[in-house]
Amino acid sequence: MSKEGLEAQKNYPLNKKLREIFWGAWCMQTNWNYERQMNTAYMYGMSHCIDRLYPNPDEIEKKKEAYRRHLEFFNITPQCASLTLGISEAMEEEYAANPDTFDPTVINSVKVALMGPLSGIGDSLFQGTIRIIAMSVGISLAQQGSIAGPILAILISLGTSAPITWYLGKLGYTKGQDFVKQMAASNLMEKVMFVCSIAGLFVIGGMSASLASLTTPLKFGDTLVLQKILDGILPMAIPLAMTWIMYGIIKSGKIKPMWVILGCFVAGIVLNYFGILAC
Amino acid sequence: MLLFQTIIVTLISIMMRLDSRMFGRLNFERPLITCTICGLLLGNLGVGLAVGAEMELATLGMMSIGASGIDMNMGSLVGCAICIMTGADIETALTVAVPMTLLSTLIETLASVVRIQFTHMCDNYVNAGKFDMAKRVDIVYGPLLYVICTAIPVFLSVYFGAGVVQSIANIVPSWVTSGISLGANIIAFYGFAMLLSTMVNKNTVVYFFAGFLVAAYSGLGLTAIALIGIVIAGILYTVKYVGGQSKQSDSVSEDSLNSLEDLDN
Repeated sequence: MSKEGLEAQKNYPLNKKLREIFWGAWCMQTNWNYERQMNTAYMYGMSHCIDRLYPNPDEIEKKKEAYRRHLEFFNITPQCASLTLGISEAMEEEYAANPDTFDPTVINSVKVALMGPLSGIGDSLFQGTIRIIAMSVGISLAQQGSIAGPILAILISLGTSAPITWYLGKLGYTKGQDFVKQMAASNLMEKVMFVCSIAGLFVIGGMSASLASLTTPLKFGDTLVLQKILDGILPMAIPLAMTWIMYGIIKSGKIKPMWVILGCFVAGIVLNYFGILAC
Repeated sequence: MLLFQTIIVTLISIMMRLDSRMFGRLNFERPLITCTICGLLLGNLGVGLAVGAEMELATLGMMSIGASGIDMNMGSLVGCAICIMTGADIETALTVAVPMTLLSTLIETLASVVRIQFTHMCDNYVNAGKFDMAKRVDIVYGPLLYVICTAIPVFLSVYFGAGVVQSIANIVPSWVTSGISLGANIIAFYGFAMLLSTMVNKNTVVYFFAGFLVAAYSGLGLTAIALIGIVIAGILYTVKYVGGQSKQSDSVSEDSLNSLEDLDN
């Protein structure tokens, strides 16, 4: 068993490894498929490290084994993939150093163990919170005709995604397998979810009050203007009601999204025609 | 001119598709961004921004996790391009976006069958020891398929659709277009509710109402609301998780006070 590959991997500069991990993570959805989801992308992300570890023709069986290991089912929020890629790379090194004592199946079980929690955090952080904040800020400026809106939206997205991906890759690679234990001990997931759900829900509440307008032109005589009465009780009462009607439709789970969307257009045309609702 | 404009829109669509594939989903794919770029390059930034904001609003809540969910990004871009090229109302973008979304869902279903084959190709190349070929399947063939499945329908629908849409837009009465506009606003609430349903529970629903009431009574813009939301989350985090440490520092300051008193004596 030659240690030549291991030497090459150890001597490879850390920053270059982190750059591989970074791009590997961002390219996580290149070949998203229903069978094993992000499996080929994970293999691609790990391939540079595996190629370095097993350079000799007589190690080809080891190399094939490693490639196959990373072709297993995988799914995660792309920005969080750098963490698992980093951990996997550290563990592949460990396995190459101690092929007799280190059980390679652990590499995959760590991946599988992290997949669920990290996707949960990642999706609520990036899709649920950062994207919502970036885009709703962008929309409100764009509605006033300002190009600063889209620019700000991109800056917020890029300014959070890129550093987090890089940092998670570094964290994963330097901490390796120990990270999993530390994560469980420090309640990291619970903390991130706590902050995300407060900031996210606060913004969603603000969105439903201010982003899309719904009013009623209904009036009975000159004295009874429905919208005025509603505004006296609670401003933006119709938007609030509409949010919870839609929530009820989603929770019932009976109507497919495409039908809801088509239904909204039909309802919009009908309600507008009879003067019940307006923008 | 038409061909040139169509090519520009197609190039934007390629960037849009690669965003979630090779750039970790930086939100370049969102209607707000693609429509703005489209407006900028086709020479009508105002319409680009207006359509972008309108379409972003309608689809903001629709999370795209994995392959599920509805992808209106392609429809939004094509709708925006046609709006600018024909000078039609902003509502036209919406009427174009919906059938385009159905089309892209159909194409995506077909492409996903091909991608399963790509995975099997990868398996076979690895077993045969052709590692570079396996890598190429993932990093070249995969994205290429996504690009083809986006660029071709975008090109065709912009090139041939502009004229068709214009002739239809001329005969549609105004109560229909304003009704569609109302419909888009209603769809936005579907999106808000979708987001809400992924995050809310009995204990956290109060934060939704907090955000709603602050915005409804104050009339503050969303930038302010977002910042207030982040600050409140920060405060509550401190109260919940950093509480133990602050008690320690209290006792430290008491000690230092005591020692100060000692000095006085």
